[in-house]
Amino acid sequence: MAATKTTFTRDAGLQSRMLLTMFLLGALYVAFVGVLFAAGVQGFMILLIAGGFAALQFFTSDKLALHAMGAREVSPQEAPELHAMIERLCIQADLPKPKIAVAHTNMPNAFAIGKSQKSATVCATTGIMNLLSPAELEGVMAHELAHIKNRDVMIMTIASFFASVAAMILQFGFLFGGGRHSDNDDGPGFLVILLASLVVYVLSFLLMMALSRYREFSADRGAALTTGRPSALASALRKISSGMDRLPQQDLRVAGELSAFFIASPKKFIGGLFSTHPPMEKRIAELERFETELQRGSLAAA
Amino acid sequence: MGFLDAILGGKKKLKAPPAADKLFAMSTAYVTLSSGHGIETKGVSAIVFQPLATADFEAIVSEMEELLAGTGEDTGTTITTHEDAHDYRWIILHDDDIEDLVVGVNAVSDALMVGGYGDRVLAAVFAFKDSKGRALYFIYNYKRGHWYPFVPAGKNVRDGERELQIKAIISDDLPIEPEMERWFPLWGIPI
Repeated sequence: MAATKTTFTRDAGLQSRMLLTMFLLGALYVAFVGVLFAAGVQGFMILLIAGGFAALQFFTSDKLALHAMGAREVSPQEAPELHAMIERLCIQADLPKPKIAVAHTNMPNAFAIGKSQKSATVCATTGIMNLLSPAELEGVMAHELAHIKNRDVMIMTIASFFASVAAMILQFGFLFGGGRHSDNDDGPGFLVILLASLVVYVLSFLLMMALSRYREFSADRGAALTTGRPSALASALRKISSGMDRLPQQDLRVAGELSAFFIASPKKFIGGLFSTHPPMEKRIAELERFETELQRGSLAAA
Repeated sequence: MGFLDAILGGKKKLKAPPAADKLFAMSTAYVTLSSGHGIETKGVSAIVFQPLATADFEAIVSEMEELLAGTGEDTGTTITTHEDAHDYRWIILHDDDIEDLVVGVNAVSDALMVGGYGDRVLAAVFAFKDSKGRALYFIYNYKRGHWYPFVPAGKNVRDGERELQIKAIISDDLPIEPEMERWFPLWGIPI
């Protein structure tokens, strides 16, 4: 049997940028812990308490996210098409089947949550299911499955752990720091902690945004690999970003008559979950590059 | 999956594909199925894959179909194709001899792998019927090198009990998928 040739090459550049970002985050956090320890027992206690809160958040975030979106798990009987589509994608991506949820909202969106591959849930809104063609929806679902495969929820939670600790110390400091006048002992130590927390918070925020964007690119790539149809996902992103078809489906003659009634084309209304994402144009450009790779690679093999 | 793969966004390609003997285990397992349990082949099997919109993909597929048609003159295997509602293509092989079906399915998947499209193969499906004439399928997951039974019992309903019975019957002869959450159904199997 011949060795498997992959349809796409590995993206070494993306991976090294991701690795560098993670390294910087790690270095930052190590320094932060160092400062906390140097500042003494008080700093350590704060770390412990804040860590407890972060852990609590970590274990409840799944249900909160689903609840906030008004999403409900659907059975194979309720949504046979969606289930069948995801089952096939799971075989291709070599994943156990996640729970599947649907949120009743017109906003076209989809997301994946869950700390492990086995406890994951993918959610699609009714808006996205109505907006996209089956092939496009398949691309979006493959993107969410790639997030599960890459353990992105886990990685981003860990990455944000110290950032939330720092944020809590900051809040704590502003609440109680003002009233400090008697205890000269821990005064300077506490100030150092506050300053360090501020720096950690700002830097880690920027690094995490970068990391999140890299992981989006990575998930797009994973989706392209799973479906073999990068252009379907690109087309889906186009539709989602404009909230309507950018490729007109209407006959020119009909559109010409209708356009007189519109003042402006409906603008984008995507927020929230997509805000940590790279610009759509960049993602679409990357997907177009995959399609070129796919077409060219296969031509060379012929 | 290793730690590095996890933090760098997952493996981008398959490890080495599972050895072909996992697929060929069906020819020996069939002896157990037919002689001991009255489960007979329906004389049809299929390989399911995502067709790609590239120039050489269609060329590879049609070459492979020609090849199969050629060898089919000796073995008596005939082939048909089918596009399903999910845009997957089924290459369906008809032959009363299970051995020929296994060899034929392997030839198709081999051709796709050699062409560099091994990732696109979803599964191989073998159709059987039991002594009461009820349909049952064995699905082979290429990515994992495992088989599992699939017994549809109406629209989007599967007979889980029967599937477990079949697993118990055959698990000595056939590498069965150990994780049952990966026993993915395939609705609307055209064979």
